[in-house]
This record gives sequence, structure tokens and C-alpha cells, in this order.
Amino acid sequence: MTKILVVADIKEGVLKGSTKELLSKARAIGAKTAVVAVGSDIESLSADLADAGSDTQYIADDKSLDLFSAAPFTSCVVDAAKQFEAGLIWFGFSETGKAVAPRVAAQLDAACASDITDAQIDGDQITITRPAIANKVMQKIKVNTEQLVAVVRAGAFEADESISGTQNVVKLSAPEPDLKAVIKEVLSDASGEIDLGDADIVISVGRGVKDQAGIDLVKGLADDLTAGFGSSRAMVDAGLMAQNKQVGQTGKIVAPNLYMALGISGAIQHLAGMTGSKTILAVNKDPEAPIFNVADYGIVGDLFEVVPILREEIKKIKG
Amino acid sequence: MKILTTLKKVVDVELNINVENGAIIEDGLQYVMNAWDENAVETAVQLKEKNKAETTLVNIGGGDDNTKIIRKGFAMGIDNAIQIDDPALENSDPSIYAGIIQKVYEQGEYDLIITGKQAQDTDSGQTGIILAEFLELPCVSNVIDIEAIDDQHIKVSRLGDAGTEILEIELPAVVTVSDGINEPRLPAMRGIMMAKKKKISVMDLAGLGISWDELGGGSPKSEITEFMKSETRQAGQKFEGDAAEITAKVVDLLANEAKVL
Ligand SMILES: Cc1cc2nc3c(=O)[nH]c(=O)nc-3n(C[C@H](O)[C@H](O)[C@H](O)COP(=O)(O)OP(=O)(O)OC[C@H]3O[C@@H](n4cnc5c(N)ncnc54)[C@H](O)[C@@H]3O)c2cc1C
Ligand SMILES: Nc1ncnc2c1ncn2[C@@H]1O[C@H](COP(=O)(O)O)[C@@H](O)[C@H]1O
Repeated sequence: MTKILVVADIKEGVLKGSTKELLSKARAIGAKTAVVAVGSDIESLSADLADAGSDTQYIADDKSLDLFSAAPFTSCVVDAAKQFEAGLIWFGFSETGKAVAPRVAAQLDAACASDITDAQIDGDQITITRPAIANKVMQKIKVNTEQLVAVVRAGAFEADESISGTQNVVKLSAPEPDLKAVIKEVLSDASGEIDLGDADIVISVGRGVKDQAGIDLVKGLADDLTAGFGSSRAMVDAGLMAQNKQVGQTGKIVAPNLYMALGISGAIQHLAGMTGSKTILAVNKDPEAPIFNVADYGIVGDLFEVVPILREEIKKIKG
Repeated sequence: MKILTTLKKVVDVELNINVENGAIIEDGLQYVMNAWDENAVETAVQLKEKNKAETTLVNIGGGDDNTKIIRKGFAMGIDNAIQIDDPALENSDPSIYAGIIQKVYEQGEYDLIITGKQAQDTDSGQTGIILAEFLELPCVSNVIDIEAIDDQHIKVSRLGDAGTEILEIELPAVVTVSDGINEPRLPAMRGIMMAKKKKISVMDLAGLGISWDELGGGSPKSEITEFMKSETRQAGQKFEGDAAEITAKVVDLLANEAKVL
């Protein structure tokens, strides 16, 4: 029977939704499931980890794992993969996943795939589907090894709220710290803000908002809707938005219920990060802007005029 | 400091890419230097300008398009080029490329390897990280800032899930760079002229001293069996006219048709 190990996605001590999504898919395939959680002060999450749908929880909980460091994180995942004899090892879509998955694959001599949207298991044969070339094509990939390490694209699998697992905690020993790539500090400019990956609504600004006043205007709308607040790269390059707000091929990949693109032209690198959204609204003064090719609803107009009206109209219906 | 950067030829993503019968239609495609490799080259050249360094690029592949991007690397300021051209490399995966770059590294005694964070054709982001594992070297991916501390240490920032992570790395090491790290320079005329005269050291796998069997045991760990068209979204309803009117209409649709408000 296929065994799937899911690497828990934990941020600021909270288990992220992607973990349940991956475990839901694993259970739907009919696999045996386990989860590996790496961090500091996370032992209390074991019930949540079981609830998310895992039947074994490998937990590496150590002070030294407080700040992310790829090498020790890798050791923990490899340790759990060996103990569980995992056939597939899945990471949710995150910078951690992207940094650790290839390392785990190299250490296990397994195949590695990034950004998968589907996985089929037929006896011993694993086949996966993934987008490539900035989402312009999809690839079907045949895996030639027994094991596959993969990062699952954001929004690819849906959480099944009806599933849950059983609690069976296996403690992992603390890994060796990386003495050659030493993490000194983490500058966080996002704490307390709504995580783009979790938000039901994401509102992003592009060069069309021009300056800080334009950002503030749109931020008001985002606050009204408790929406995640994202950005195109142009605004990051201009120093107006933080790098971790960037949506797109090199930024966050988001798949919310509603994505609003305000003053964003719709370059393929931006589209690569948001076309998985359920509904897309675009506001742009250029009727030919490529963003309108992917938007369900498009408003051709000046966002400085449109956004205040949007706020008013939304307030009206929300009461 | 001796710096090695990797250079890959990729299909120009700004052009239309069409798929038929499970394969990409080659007709009309154009090839360019991977955008993140431009960042890698720029990083190497800037380190050379600030500190003393010798920069070498390695490119895997053959033909005019690869020569063109190597010349561009020269024009941007890279000193030396190694090109591995072997017909066996048609069907490869990141571990095979990493195995080849490993061999190049071992023959050159480099202090720092800089790769792009991913290639625009694969979007996989694995080669540099797997290479570091093969070489048992420290590795930091998704780097957005780099600075030499001394001959044996560099300081880097990477964009991680918790924010900007700052690390000190002992050399030799591998870093993979994001596009946020710099703005790649446009080669100046003088650089372009000089680039034409520079020599590219071309070799096949045998010339590099490695056999195909050593690389993937004859078979890649995974292989693409089929390309498919992406499901493209359909353009929906676009409204032009009086801002108050069309905005109210769209809000109504968001609430009552899409049911997302
Ligand atoms: C390797 C690589 C990776 C990249 N990764 C990313 C990525 O992850 N994310 C990303 O976003 N980009 C990425 N890019 C950059 C991308 O190619 C575009 O340059 C960028 O997305 C453009 O941002 P923009 O739409 O805000 O700006 P622009 O393209 O300048 O568009 C601004 C838009 O605003 C509209 N506008 C102007 N004024 C108003 C107004 N008053 N009201 C309404 N509309 C108005 C204009 O009509 C225009 O359509 C990447 C590029 C490369 C090469
Ligand atoms: N054929 C190749 N030749 C040279 N460098 C490569 C090759 N394939 C991958 N690389 C390097 O590895 C990085 C990551 O590629 P990938 O793992 O395919 O996303 C790229 O930015 C390149 O610098």
C-alpha cells in the first residue's frame, strides 16, 4: 500500500490549511498517511496534525529549530521518511518546501518534482502532472524511481473537512545545526498581517496605483474585506511594497475565492501566481490590458475613481 | 575568489507556445538566456567588481542559441566559459545536470557557485540545490542579497516563509538567486565586441571525464512523457462606461452571481 508522508506547514506556531489539503488527497488515493512537523514549541500541535488526517505524527521539536535552516529541516524529513518508509513525500507550496524538497530527494536518491497539480499511482508507477514555462503548458511526468519528493502547487488539492486521523506521535531527535550556513536573524515585515496563502480574498496592487497614496486607498478596501494584500513585482521593484507581498512566478502563488487585480497589466509572470483563483476581478484603465483575458469581471476605468465606489457598494451589500 | 555561474538556454516565454500531439511545436520559438541566470551572471560580475574575483560560466547544451547566450555572458563581464555539448544529454533531469556541474566544479576549485533560482522552461528550481547536496556544500536558495565578508565567508539574505532570512555562509558554497537580487545590465558595445573574441572551452562528456552511466545510470529519475495545453481561463464580462454604474453592477455580480462577497 502506498505511503504518503506530508510535511506539515507551520507558520508562527499555527498549522496551515495546506497540510489538510495534502492529507485529504493522500487519503482519497487510499494511501497510508503520516505527517512530519519540524519546529520549536510545536508538540502541542499533535492533535491538530491528527485532525488534519494523519495517522502517525513525526515531530521534531527543538529550540534549535526555531529559525528555519534548510539542512537540519532536511534531516528531520529524511529521518521521518525512512522510519515511515514513505513512497511519496509531499510539501505544501512554500519557500520552505522549495528549499528542502530537492535536498530530501538528493539524500534519498529519489525523483523530485516542483509545483505538482496531480499525482496518479498505478501499482508501482507514479505519474504526475505539473505546469511549466510560466503555466503556458502542462507536463505529464513519469517517475522512474520508487520514491518521489514533490512540492504541491497552492490550491491543487481540496481539503475534505470530513476526514481526520489518529494520534500516534513519534518524537524525532534534534538534528545537527548547519555550522556552514548559519542563520543570523529573520526580518519579518508581515507579522500580524493576513497571510496571502490563507486569505479568502486577495487584493493586489500594480504600477497603476502609482504611489503610497494609491496603496493606502486600496489598503482601505482590503481592510474592509479582511483581505490579503498583495502586489505585482513592479511595485516591489519601486520599493513601495515588501518583497514577500509579490504575487507571481517568483512570488506567492495564491488561489483565493476572489482575487482583485488593481492597476496590474497582467504579465505572464504575474498571471502564473493567480490564475488558480476561483473568481478574478480586474480594474484597469486600458481596455486592452492582458489581465482582462483572465478576469471573470473587468472594470475598464481609473482605479482612483473606481476603488472608492467599490468600497461604498460593498459596504451597502455587507450592511 | 573563483566564481562559477550556470547558464541555461530557455524558450522565450513572452512568445506563444503551442502544443500538438503531446509535444511543443518548435516552429516559431526563440531561445534566450534564462532570466534568473541573467541575475546569476550579474551577481557574479558585481562581486568581481567589488572584490577580486575570476568568473566562469558553465553551459550545458550545443548549437547557435547556446553560443549566443554564452557570448551575452561574456559581454556582461564573465571571464571564462565552459560548454558541455553531448548528444546524450537530450533527455535529462536536474540530477543529471547537477552531476555534470559537479564535475566542472571539481576540476576548477571554485569558491562560489551561483545558479538561477529556477529555469524558465522547467520552473523546477532544483538543479543548484541538488548540486550542493552532491558536493556536500552549504547552500542557500532564493537569495535576494549577497555580500563578501572575507575570502572564506559571504553574507546573504533570502526570502523565506517567515520573512527575510540573513545567513553567514562558509565558502565554498552554492547560492541560487532570485530576480529581486539585482537588475541585470545591458551589455555595452565594448563588451559585445570583446565577447566575440573570447574563447569558449567546448567539450563532450568524455572530454569532461564523465560517462553517461555515471550520471543517471543511463536513465533520468523522471521524464516528461507528454506536454498538454494549459487550461486557459476565458475572458469574462468586461464593463466600460460610467464608473459608478459599472462598479455597482460588478459588485452585484460578485455578490449574487459569483457569490464571493
Ligand atoms: C524572471 C521574471 C520573474 C518575474 N516575476 C514576477 C512575479 O512574480 N510577479 C509579478 O507581478 N511580476 C513578475 N515579473 C515582472 C512582470 O514581467 C511585469 O513586469 C510586472 O508584473 C508588471 O507589473 P504591473 O502590472 O504592476 O505594471 P505594468 O505592467 O506597468 O502595468 C500597470 C498597469 O496599470 C494600469 N493603470 C495605470 N494607471 C491606472 C489607473 N489610474 N487606473 C487603472 N489602471 C491603471 C495600466 O493600464 C497598466 O496595465 C517577473 C519578470 C521576470 C523577467
Ligand atoms: N542545461 C543547463 N545548463 C546550465 N545550467 C543549467 C542547466 N539546467 C539547469 N541549470 C541551472 O540550474 C538552475 C535551475 O534550473 P531548474 O532546476 O531546471 O529550475 C538554472 O537557473 C540554471 O542556472
